[in-house]
Amino acid sequence: MDFLSHHYMPGAVTIWCALIFALASLWGYSQVLRGDKRALSFARRGYAFFALSVVLCAAVLLLCLARRDFRIEYVAQYSGLDLPFHFQIAAFWAGQKGSFLIWLLWGALLGLPLRRAAGRDEASVMGVYLLTQFGLLFILVRENPFIMLSETPLDGSGLNPLLQDDWMVIHPPVMFIGYAAAAIPLAFAWAAMWRGDTDRWATRAFPWTLGGFMVLGTAILMGGYWAYRTLGWGGYWGWDPVENASLIPWLIGIVLIHGLYLERTKNRYRRLNLVLACLLYLSVTYGTFLTRSGVLADFSVHSFVDLGISRWLLLWMGFFFVGSIVLLAKQLPRVPTQVNEDPVVSRGFFVVASTIVVGLSAVVITFGTSAPLLTRFMENPGQVGPEFYNRVHLPLALVLALLLIPLPFLTWKGTGLRELPKKLAPSFLVGLLATGFAAWQGVEDPFHLLLVFLATAALSSNLHRTVEIGRSGQLAKAGGYLSHVGVGVMILGVLASSAYDQSAKVTLEQEVPQRVGDLTLTFKRFIPREGRTKERMEVEVVSDDGLRYMAYPKLFVNDRTRQLMANPHIRKTLARDLYISPIQYEPGSPPGVDQRLVLERGETGTVGDLEVRFVDFDASSTGRAAMARWSATGRLDVGVEVEVRRGGATTRLQPIYRLVGGGVETPPTLLPGGGAIYMTGLNPADETVQLDLAGIGVKPQPAKLSIDLTRKPLIKLVWYGLYIVLAGGALAIWQRLKAARKVDEIATT
Amino acid sequence: MKKKRIYYALGAVLLLVFAGFSFSEFKESLTPYVPYEVALESQRTVQVAGGLAQGSSAYDTEDQFLRFTLVDQETAQTLRVRYHGVKPANFEDAVSIVAIGRYDAAASEFAADKLLVKCPSKYQGIEDTETKTYS
Repeated sequence: MDFLSHHYMPGAVTIWCALIFALASLWGYSQVLRGDKRALSFARRGYAFFALSVVLCAAVLLLCLARRDFRIEYVAQYSGLDLPFHFQIAAFWAGQKGSFLIWLLWGALLGLPLRRAAGRDEASVMGVYLLTQFGLLFILVRENPFIMLSETPLDGSGLNPLLQDDWMVIHPPVMFIGYAAAAIPLAFAWAAMWRGDTDRWATRAFPWTLGGFMVLGTAILMGGYWAYRTLGWGGYWGWDPVENASLIPWLIGIVLIHGLYLERTKNRYRRLNLVLACLLYLSVTYGTFLTRSGVLADFSVHSFVDLGISRWLLLWMGFFFVGSIVLLAKQLPRVPTQVNEDPVVSRGFFVVASTIVVGLSAVVITFGTSAPLLTRFMENPGQVGPEFYNRVHLPLALVLALLLIPLPFLTWKGTGLRELPKKLAPSFLVGLLATGFAAWQGVEDPFHLLLVFLATAALSSNLHRTVEIGRSGQLAKAGGYLSHVGVGVMILGVLASSAYDQSAKVTLEQEVPQRVGDLTLTFKRFIPREGRTKERMEVEVVSDDGLRYMAYPKLFVNDRTRQLMANPHIRKTLARDLYISPIQYEPGSPPGVDQRLVLERGETGTVGDLEVRFVDFDASSTGRAAMARWSATGRLDVGVEVEVRRGGATTRLQPIYRLVGGGVETPPTLLPGGGAIYMTGLNPADETVQLDLAGIGVKPQPAKLSIDLTRKPLIKLVWYGLYIVLAGGALAIWQRLKAARKVDEIATT
Repeated sequence: MKKKRIYYALGAVLLLVFAGFSFSEFKESLTPYVPYEVALESQRTVQVAGGLAQGSSAYDTEDQFLRFTLVDQETAQTLRVRYHGVKPANFEDAVSIVAIGRYDAAASEFAADKLLVKCPSKYQGIEDTETKTYS
């Protein structure tokens, strides 16, 4: 009965139900495959109940989070009373267990349309698809998010402040849709190999692969934008293992999409596509293993610590690895192939060559990310820095851009080569102009200039073709070319913003303008917290061309963790982004810092370079006459005589303590050489006076703000390029969905 | 067909060149975790890890130089480290510090290009405040 008291029942029951229904559905589909057609409705119902259980399970967790039910460990770990509602929901995927659950949720939901799309291959495709769900199911049953605490805390630990950002609400869920979709090509490929019929799967898997590519691409874009916009890391991509773990499947997806395209149009690369579909899913499981098992805990900013699930992750990955090998070894030799008779300068050859480049990128990133694992068995494990990826990708980008230039005007048979120079001439001209402009802007590196030329030529030749096709009224067929335009734009953006960014660390004194390049920066003031708006700095930026604006970067200490958090201010213009990231703020000290002396008659006190001796009370302020004056005017000046010695000169001063009505005034008496003295109290009983001194010896310290000022030229092109790539993908999905629907029509007629 | 073979051969050569280039870059960029005594001898960029020696950190705000001493929790060896840049947040509370850089024999201290500071945290996910170089 330990289980009952330690688990939140509604949640624990639904997760077990999901496992049981998934097993039942798998059994049903296996019966269908053995020839028992009646089992089909059982299998379908099983799947529906599996999906329902997962939905309910997610709903229970969501409800617990919304109700702030701190009895549940997961809720207590990732949420707190002070969290606004949308972060309360986002806490769902803040931890290991919850993120596995949302992954499973998308997987279960994607299976519903997949069942219909699989058509008459339903039993085999859904059978394999269910197998992919078990990896997550087993982990969730083992690492149940519904474990209850023995004592209910009054408040939860709260969400990590770094994650308290609006992007946290949307970025991870989208990422997990992409991961869940990666299982679909594998399901089609395994099913095809299992049936021994590898003719149809490519058509059916094509739109799903494109869809997964789109979603994952969108998630990567959002992640990059999040890192750039709010995390204050100064960039959109850091080659961190967790980032790479999402990039590798995306790149393999690109290769698979092109392979499927060739298979559909030329009936080629049929074997390779089966391999790629397996690799796509394996790369997701491998990435999950790397980032979730704790093997990279020392190397990554956002790697999870080990929950003791490494073995499960290995088992999961190993199952699909071995399964893929066995199926491929058995079936690949039976897949019919065609002898490649295309000439070298032809469309097919260029598509293959450019996808090889993308594949190489995936391989290199896999090796780089695995460095800590690969070197683990050597003497000293290590990791590779971002410069490795940056350097290795320069030649890859050059070759890729080169290959993309002629691609839109090549034919399958390699004919019409004579007209090629004429068709490409405008693009080369645009490329030359861009290169000239880059050189004029100060780009000197010959490789960078070459890359500018090739990327610009590639984007304009592909744009040229997209427009041509669009004019003929078949824009849906131009998806590929449009994506390649985006690739060219992205290459330019990445090159300009990463190789030609300028960064400077500057310390600004309050109200003192400082020139940095062609800008004049003035730190105006510190703005304290106003409600939900965190502490901000007001910095005036004036550029030489007359533009003037206020920047408000944020710098605050998180209340719970006492961690210093910085949110940069980014000024975006078409040509460049100006990024002001606060690093450190020193409040300084105001000029009138007070020093207090309490002196007896005849005593001397020292403040800074000043010696003060209390000589005597002013005789005129005591006695009968003074009392009479007080009662007549309601005002009495109590004076003291002090001797002030500074730099060898001695001065006598009479500071005043003035009684007015019921109150007291202490007017300042200025000191020679700067500063002032105030008489702020007297004690007739022991004959002491209290003297306050201001502005003595202590130089006033102005407030100082240290900032990181970064200029990133053309960084907008990175985002725009990716938007164009994704828009091209959307067109291609439209085109391929139509084709996929026709498969069953053809088969049934 | 002959022409085609030449192209394939060319492709294979290009691939080999790229593989060689990547491998050398990989080796070049690899920063191994090493014990202090190895870091003292090493000519290349390495990573050293350890705890912060109590009260050893001093920060010069004007020049932005951070100096501190790392202590190996197991061997109790120490290493002086110098870092030029902004002091990482909560540096004094660090449980463990990873410094990436190389040993400066002239100044007999380890010159770090990058610090990775782990702070005590109740969060499972992100635990490190890293001075990252982003591209």
